[in-house]
Amino acid sequence: MTSGLDMLTPLADLIGSGALAAPPAGEKAAGAVHGDIGAWVMAIPFLPLLGSLLCVLCAIFKVKSKLPAWITVAGLAGAFVAAFVMFQQTTGADGGSQWAVAKAFDWINFQWGSEGQALVANFSFYVDSLTCLWMLFVTGLATLIALYASEYMSHDKGPGYCRFFFAFNLFVFSMACLVMGDNLLLLFLGWEGVGLCSYLLIGYFYKKESAVAAAKKAFIMNRIGDLGLSLGVMLTFVHFGTLEYAQLFHDPEMFPKYLALAQAGDFASIPWQVELIPILLAVGAFGKSAQFPLYVWLPDAMEGPTPVSALIHAATMVTAGVYLVARFLPVFAANQAALGLVILIGAFTALLSATIAMRQYDIKRIMAYSTVSQLGYMFVGVAVLAPSGGAFHVFTHAFFKATLFLCCGAVMHGFAGQLDLRKLSGVMSMKGWLIVSLAMLVGCLNLAGVPFTAGYFSKDMILAESFVNGHAIAGWVLLITAGLTAYYTFRVFFRVFVGPTHAEPGEDLHPHEGESMEEAKANFHAHAPGWAINLVLGILLVGSILVAFLYPMHWADDMIATSTAGGIGAGDHTGTVLGMDPHKVMYYVSAVFGVTGILIAAFLHGPKGLWSLGIGNRSEAETSRADALVPKVGPVAHLAERKWLVDELYHATIAMPLRVIAHISHALDRLLVDGLVNLFGWLPRLFGRTIRPAQNGLLHSYAIRMVGGVGVVVLLVVLVTLL
Amino acid sequence: MEAKLASLYPEITLFITTCAVMVLGLSPQAALRRLCPGLAIMGLVFAGVLALTTTPGAETPLPMLPMYAKTLVAGVGVLLALLLAGSADRVYEAMIDRGAKFDALRSNTGEFWSFFLFSMTGLMLCAGADDLIWLFLALELVSLPTYVMVAVSTGRNRSKEAAVKYFFLGALGAAVFLYGFVLIYGAAGSTDLATIATVFAQQQAEGGLGPIAIGGIMLSLLGLCFKIAAVPMHFYTPDVYQGASAPVAAMLAFVPKTAGFIAILLILACVRWPDGALPEPIHALVWVLAVLTMTVGNVLALLQRSAKRLLAYSSIAHSGYMLVGVLAGPGLAQAAGADASIATSGFAAVLFYLFVYGISTVGAFAVLACLERTSPDGEPEEADDLDDLRGLWKTHPSMAAVMALSAFGLLGLPPLLGFVGKLPLFTSAISAEEIPLVIILGLNSAIAAFYYLRLVALTLLENPEKLPTRPELKMAPMSGRRTAALLSATGVIVFAFIGGPQIAGFAERGATYIPKRVHTGEAAAPVDTPADAEPVAVRDE
Repeated sequence: MTSGLDMLTPLADLIGSGALAAPPAGEKAAGAVHGDIGAWVMAIPFLPLLGSLLCVLCAIFKVKSKLPAWITVAGLAGAFVAAFVMFQQTTGADGGSQWAVAKAFDWINFQWGSEGQALVANFSFYVDSLTCLWMLFVTGLATLIALYASEYMSHDKGPGYCRFFFAFNLFVFSMACLVMGDNLLLLFLGWEGVGLCSYLLIGYFYKKESAVAAAKKAFIMNRIGDLGLSLGVMLTFVHFGTLEYAQLFHDPEMFPKYLALAQAGDFASIPWQVELIPILLAVGAFGKSAQFPLYVWLPDAMEGPTPVSALIHAATMVTAGVYLVARFLPVFAANQAALGLVILIGAFTALLSATIAMRQYDIKRIMAYSTVSQLGYMFVGVAVLAPSGGAFHVFTHAFFKATLFLCCGAVMHGFAGQLDLRKLSGVMSMKGWLIVSLAMLVGCLNLAGVPFTAGYFSKDMILAESFVNGHAIAGWVLLITAGLTAYYTFRVFFRVFVGPTHAEPGEDLHPHEGESMEEAKANFHAHAPGWAINLVLGILLVGSILVAFLYPMHWADDMIATSTAGGIGAGDHTGTVLGMDPHKVMYYVSAVFGVTGILIAAFLHGPKGLWSLGIGNRSEAETSRADALVPKVGPVAHLAERKWLVDELYHATIAMPLRVIAHISHALDRLLVDGLVNLFGWLPRLFGRTIRPAQNGLLHSYAIRMVGGVGVVVLLVVLVTLL
Repeated sequence: MEAKLASLYPEITLFITTCAVMVLGLSPQAALRRLCPGLAIMGLVFAGVLALTTTPGAETPLPMLPMYAKTLVAGVGVLLALLLAGSADRVYEAMIDRGAKFDALRSNTGEFWSFFLFSMTGLMLCAGADDLIWLFLALELVSLPTYVMVAVSTGRNRSKEAAVKYFFLGALGAAVFLYGFVLIYGAAGSTDLATIATVFAQQQAEGGLGPIAIGGIMLSLLGLCFKIAAVPMHFYTPDVYQGASAPVAAMLAFVPKTAGFIAILLILACVRWPDGALPEPIHALVWVLAVLTMTVGNVLALLQRSAKRLLAYSSIAHSGYMLVGVLAGPGLAQAAGADASIATSGFAAVLFYLFVYGISTVGAFAVLACLERTSPDGEPEEADDLDDLRGLWKTHPSMAAVMALSAFGLLGLPPLLGFVGKLPLFTSAISAEEIPLVIILGLNSAIAAFYYLRLVALTLLENPEKLPTRPELKMAPMSGRRTAALLSATGVIVFAFIGGPQIAGFAERGATYIPKRVHTGEAAAPVDTPADAEPVAVRDE
């Protein structure tokens, strides 16, 4: 593999062994075990890259079959196997190596100055248990979702199909670079790569105006975050003189030094640059992971095909921000304010988007707001210095949220794009929808945090640790949010999947020939999902249940303990909940909140009968008890339905002023800047015109000018030297 | 003596080929005459292979330079030979094809090819020079044949005018640097470069170079400015390039320039670089030359309507860029005894850039050589006006692509070869802490972008103009020109990724700089220091 910047290799390679040579990565590292990892780990990023290239070939050769999908599934499955072997080797029985770097090729290597200043960013991969944890679910879910998409996207076979899987593969490659990169520049490449793929896939239906607008919104919102990230990367380089993890995390003069200072409470000795880095990185993380105030792009991103929503906008890409914070936890720990900021934003976002989700009718959007909300949990988790809780929640959430999205996708696929929960009911009792409905139920139970599900355990880790580490307010906010989450989750389940059977087709309905729209609606039959969708949902159903068993094994704790985020948590257990040990009491408290939420949902939206334990009474799809409740709550419900008017607020306070400024700038640009540029363009020409007569083509004139020139230059130099 | 002879195998090979070509070109059989280019290319390839295997002479401060430079010369020489193939005697050969009798006195083929090879031999000798007289003779051997080649390159008077200008001004330039060489001899008491380096090192340790030495170096550099087409000796460049046919112009853009830069490096390597910079007056001179050259070249290129003149000014500007690398010098690290690194060694950057520039500029000239129209006097007229290139993409897509790639390459657009070559010029100058110069270099690259991008826009984006006064352009029948164009365009892309780094590494080795040590104390031991010995830390501080 080679890249455009590969040619910079010799600048590095051929550097002599003298004083100039930079110390090899990791040589100075102390304390951590630096192991070896085979070159095969490169299969994880490069198999998807190969896949995307093959998809391009498929497009060129106008493949009309499902070939691109099978290429993708095969490549990603290979990547998953490699990720699993990587996980086995990193956390093997012999303790494994704590970290290792596998180098693919030299990428960027600028050197200058006499003191060996260098900007080195190899195309290398940093492997530790945090990397493994992320890559396991990224590659695993990507494989399953690609299989799902092979059926879901089948009506687009041809160029669109190739385009979809091209971007899909490219996404996994970028995500692998982001997570596995051994330096911040490769992380940045991956970061921008996933952003690009997200843009491409949100705008997949590029003829649909709303999809294009959503793609642009996502892209622009992410630019704001990316500005923060890039500034953070630059500041890291300016301050530490390197971007490589091997040095940043393991050189005792770098992160470990500041972490030690922070743990000793000596914050005064930490320079402001180091304190600023985590805040800048956090801005980047908030953009990518859709946190307040940059979250508004994620719900709109649901314009993309559902597999994309499941993979990119629920399970993997949006957790990149959490990864960034978890990876750079040592430097975050050096700034209490940065951690506080992350906790504040995380908890607030969790609550805000949960309230919005309660009043939405589009089930995919509900899941999108739910994702935003759950990401808030994860941020709080890592920022209360419980990275294992945060990471475990990322892991479990990836499974059950992907399940939920894929179920919504199956419904959307089967009911001609119908997503309104008022127009669907009793899907479970329709023929062929059992697996979808069961998977949905398992996903909902996880999301609602019903006891003994994976979601319950991982959420409790975060909740308990926020009380333990003295962030009780955040803990209570998240507890309340857990209750709201349980409500809106089961609102969807009770409305759509159980109860009286009712289905109206959505707007993707195309009447057959000689059939009016009304007739088409009347004759509409949902088409049940095929084998691929059912198989994937079945696997995810089982997977979502099994993930819970990792909790009693303390898997996430072990994974985090051996990574760069290990050993950072505060040692003192001072916090309590209601005067008791948070870890124990949280099992009960959060269970109560979760079950209460479900019961309220059952009362307000549940159908008659066993499903809602007899407390529900909904007898038709359109209405429920909740409708009667809405006027009583007053404007709050209305505002929540309008998403607290955040979009309108942004429009009024940011977009409009910007537009005005843009008009003013445009005028100024034409008058001033263009004038200036033209002046600068004109100056060289003027200079050229001035000296042009010297080129008169006459031999003797040239000779005189040459001799004169020699004289003038010599005189000039003599003058310069003497002065 | 034997070692010296062994280092001359490439030149000897070329010389033998030259003799063979000279005879072959006079052959009455057209088929035999047509073998000339092939034979020349074979000779160059052999010479290149031999150059790779020659052992370096360890005496001069730049012991590895001959190996790199000769190989480079052979490589680009093959490209030039392809481009030149079929140029000489084109009208006359056509007459013979139509039945005219061959007249050895009228035929130029043999001379043309032997002059080409003489020039290349001179260039190689230049790289291997270890003596001022040798260097002077080699430089003249490079240039003298080119005067004739310009004159016979087309049948027009324009070419003869160009040749006359070139010859007289060339003589003037040669006089200037010869005067400089004489002064250097006067200051050092020897014409041997290694001895000069030792004497200069001693003088610098004892309080600096004397005015005669400084004056000699300054005049040498100013005279060599003619060879590299730098201000104030640049006036001839556009006129000569325009008067010559495009293939010969391509040769002029590469061969004398390379000779000039090699000579400049050889002379400046004789001076010790205390703290990584030249002695003040010479430093000031090179600084001024670099700034003037790139600025004058670029601003005048902006105004051109003729593609050849534009490329001529671009060639002037590129000399300015490379002078920045010259000023950056061997780098502090090398002066302290470490190996050359292209990131910090300006010498390595210049050597590598010569390759990059050679490939790109030959491509641009090759496009002009490939496109021609018949003119009333029967002699084909090459494309020259920028309007000829307008909308080339619609009529000759491959040539348009080559032109665009060459322009991008000359502009230094990433990720093409031009960028790979230009970057070390920047980094080495930054390492040498020539920040103002780097800024000027950047600004000049921006100015240059204007006319290079115009070249690209003209060829790729615009529509061809059909004028009744201007017959349509056709592809020249010589396949060599097309091959050269396509090869250089391929090189601009491919070498950026594959092979380029290795060539840069080769340039690094070529730039290995072993400064002469100053021997303190009375015992004036002969200068005989092994390359791997610890540097003597004596400085005039």
